[in-house]
Amino acid sequence: MEFSADLFISLFFHTLGYWWVIIPSIFLGLIVGAIPGFSAANTIIILLPLTLVMNVEVGLIFMVALYCSSRMGAGIPAILVNIPGTAGAAATPLDGYPMTKAGRAQQALAISFVSSTFGGLLTTVVALLTMPWLARLSFYMHSVEMIVVMLFGISLIATIAARDTLKGLIAGFFGLMIGAIGADHVYATPRGTFGLLELYDGIPLIPALVGLFAVSEAFLMIEGESILSQHGKDMIRRSGWAATMEGARIALSRWWHITWNSLIGLVIGVIPGAGASIASFVAYQQSRTYSKTPELYGTGHPEGLIAPESANNGVTSGTLIPLMILGIPGGATAAIMLVVMQYHGVILGPALFANYPELGYGVFMAMAVTYLIMIFTILPLARYMSRVTLLSTVYMSPLVIAFTLVGSFVPREYMFDMYLGLAFGVIGYVARKTGYHVAAILIGVILGPLLEQYFLRALRMSDGDLMVLFSSKIGNVLWVLLFVSVTFSLVVQHRRRTVVPSQSTVE
Amino acid sequence: MSAADKKKGVGADLIIPAAALVFTLYYFWSIWNSPWTAQVSAFFIGSILIVLIVAFTLKTAIALYRKEAHLGVGELLAPRSLLSVRIGLLMMTIGYVIVIRWAGFTLTTGVFLFGAMLILGRGRRKRLIAIVSIAMALSGYLLFIVAFETRFPRGPFEELMRSLF
Repeated sequence: MEFSADLFISLFFHTLGYWWVIIPSIFLGLIVGAIPGFSAANTIIILLPLTLVMNVEVGLIFMVALYCSSRMGAGIPAILVNIPGTAGAAATPLDGYPMTKAGRAQQALAISFVSSTFGGLLTTVVALLTMPWLARLSFYMHSVEMIVVMLFGISLIATIAARDTLKGLIAGFFGLMIGAIGADHVYATPRGTFGLLELYDGIPLIPALVGLFAVSEAFLMIEGESILSQHGKDMIRRSGWAATMEGARIALSRWWHITWNSLIGLVIGVIPGAGASIASFVAYQQSRTYSKTPELYGTGHPEGLIAPESANNGVTSGTLIPLMILGIPGGATAAIMLVVMQYHGVILGPALFANYPELGYGVFMAMAVTYLIMIFTILPLARYMSRVTLLSTVYMSPLVIAFTLVGSFVPREYMFDMYLGLAFGVIGYVARKTGYHVAAILIGVILGPLLEQYFLRALRMSDGDLMVLFSSKIGNVLWVLLFVSVTFSLVVQHRRRTVVPSQSTVE
Repeated sequence: MSAADKKKGVGADLIIPAAALVFTLYYFWSIWNSPWTAQVSAFFIGSILIVLIVAFTLKTAIALYRKEAHLGVGELLAPRSLLSVRIGLLMMTIGYVIVIRWAGFTLTTGVFLFGAMLILGRGRRKRLIAIVSIAMALSGYLLFIVAFETRFPRGPFEELMRSLF
C-alpha cells in the first residue's frame, strides 16, 4: 500500500472539489445526530436508494461526511439541553451541560466543535499513515482483552460514585442489572423480561437514553422559567464572537488532551463491536484520572468535555480501518458502507489500495476534508445555537418530550419503545431528584450486556476456567493498566479529600 | 429554624434502592432454573447490588435512629407549587404515548404540544402556543415523514395528506 505525497495532495484537492456534496451532508448529519433515535446509520439506510444510484465516489463521500458530522451533532443537544443525541455522546453532558447552565453554552459548543474536528482530523491522518498496522489490532483484541476495555469504561461508575459512594454504586449496578435483561448469549434463555417479547433482545439503548436524560430533564427544567439563571441569560445575551474564540482557544490550548483522547477513540474504533459510547466513557475516565484538577470534573470543566468529544470522533476513523483493509465493518454505519461498496463491485482489502488508491485512500481523505470544512462551517454557528438555551421552558419541555419520545420509536419501530422511554423517564426523574447519577445507570445499561457477552465467550472457550482472564499477554498488560488507573484515581481522590475535606459536590 | 426542620427527608432516597432490590429479586427468580451461562453474571452483579442496598438501608436506618432524618418524600415532589403542573404534564405525556398509535404523529404531537404548553404557561399566550404547536407538529411531519420517510405512527392527518399528494 504505497502512499506518496503527490497522491495525498491530488486526492485532497480532488475531494475538496466535492464540497457541494460535503456541505449539505454535514448539515444533514448535524440534524440526524442531534435527534435521539436518528443516527448516521439509519439515515444512510433511509437514503440508500439515493446512495446506490450515485457514483461510488460521490456516494462514499456523502456517507463519510454524514457519518462524521452526525457524531458531532450528537454532542449539541447534550451540551445545550442535557440530551445526548446518541449513546456515543452520553458522557458529553457530564461537563457540557453544567457549562451551559453557567451561561457558557457558546464556549462549550466551540470547545466541542474544535475537539471533535481536530480529534477527527488527527485520527484520520494517523489512520492514513498506520492503517496496515492498526488493522492487525483487531486480530489481537479477543474476548479477554475486550473485557478489560469494558472494565475501563465501567470503572467510570466508581469515579462518579466518588461524590456519594453508595448512591453512585447503587445507580451503576442497577444499570448493570437492567442491562442484563434479555435472552442469555448462549442458550437464549429469557431473563428478567417480564414476559415481554420486545425485551428478548435486551434493553434498547435509545429509549433508555431518551428516558434517563431527555424525559427526566424535561420534567426537571420546568422548575424554572429557563434552564439558565438570570446571570447565565445575561451572559448568553451579551456574548459575541469572543465566547466562540475563547472556547476554541481553550480547546486548542489543551491540544495534548485532544490528541491523547482521540487516539483512545481511534484504537477502540478499530476493534469491531466496540463503539463510540465505550470510547467516550473510557476517555472521560482516563482524562479525569490523570487530570491535575479531577475535582472540577462534573462541574463544567472543559477537559471533561474535550475528552468524550475528541474520543467519539476518533472512533469514526477507527471503524473504517477494518472495513477498508479487512472488509470487516467496525460499526453499523461502516456495515452500510460495505453494502454500498459491494453493490458497486468494490473489492475491499489491500488490493483496493493498490488498484484503486483514489477510492481506498479517498475514503479517509473525504473524512479529513469533511473535518476541515466542518470547522469553518459549524464553529461560527456556536453563537446562534447557544441561543436555544434562552427559550422558555414552557415551550422547551413539551418539545423535548414529544420529539425525543417519538425518537425512541425510530430504531426498532415498536410502540413499546415509547412506553419504555417513558418508564426510563420516571426512573431518571426519581434518580435525579434523589441524587442518583443517571449517567452511572446508563453506563451500566450500555456496557453491561457487552461485558457479559465477552465474559461468557471467554468462559465458553476455556471450559469455564476463570484463569482465562489472565491468559493473554495483551490482556495482562491491560489488566495492569486498569489496576494502575483505578488505584491512581483512588489515591489522588484520597489525597485531595485529606487536603480539602469539604470537597464540592455537583451532580 | 427548629431541629425538626433541619432533618433531611430520606424517604425518596429509598425509592431507587427499593426498585433495584425488587427488580433484582425478580431477575433471580426468572433465572433460577436456567443454565449457568444465564446466571453467572446476574448473580455476581445482583449480589453486589443487594449488599450495596443493605449498606444504604443500614446507613439510612442509623440516620433515622439518631433522629437526623425523617422518612418524608418531600424532596421528590419539590417545589410543591409545581405539583399540579407536573402531574398535568405527566398525564399529557402518558396520553401522548397511548394515543399516538391511533391518532398518528402529527395530530397527536400538535395536541400534546398545545396542551402541555398551555399547562406549563398556566393558560397564558394561547394564540402563540397554538401557532408554535401547529408549526412544530407540521415541521415534524415534513422532516420525519415526508423527507426522511420514517415510519412514524400514521393517523387521519397522514392518510389525508397521502391521498391528497
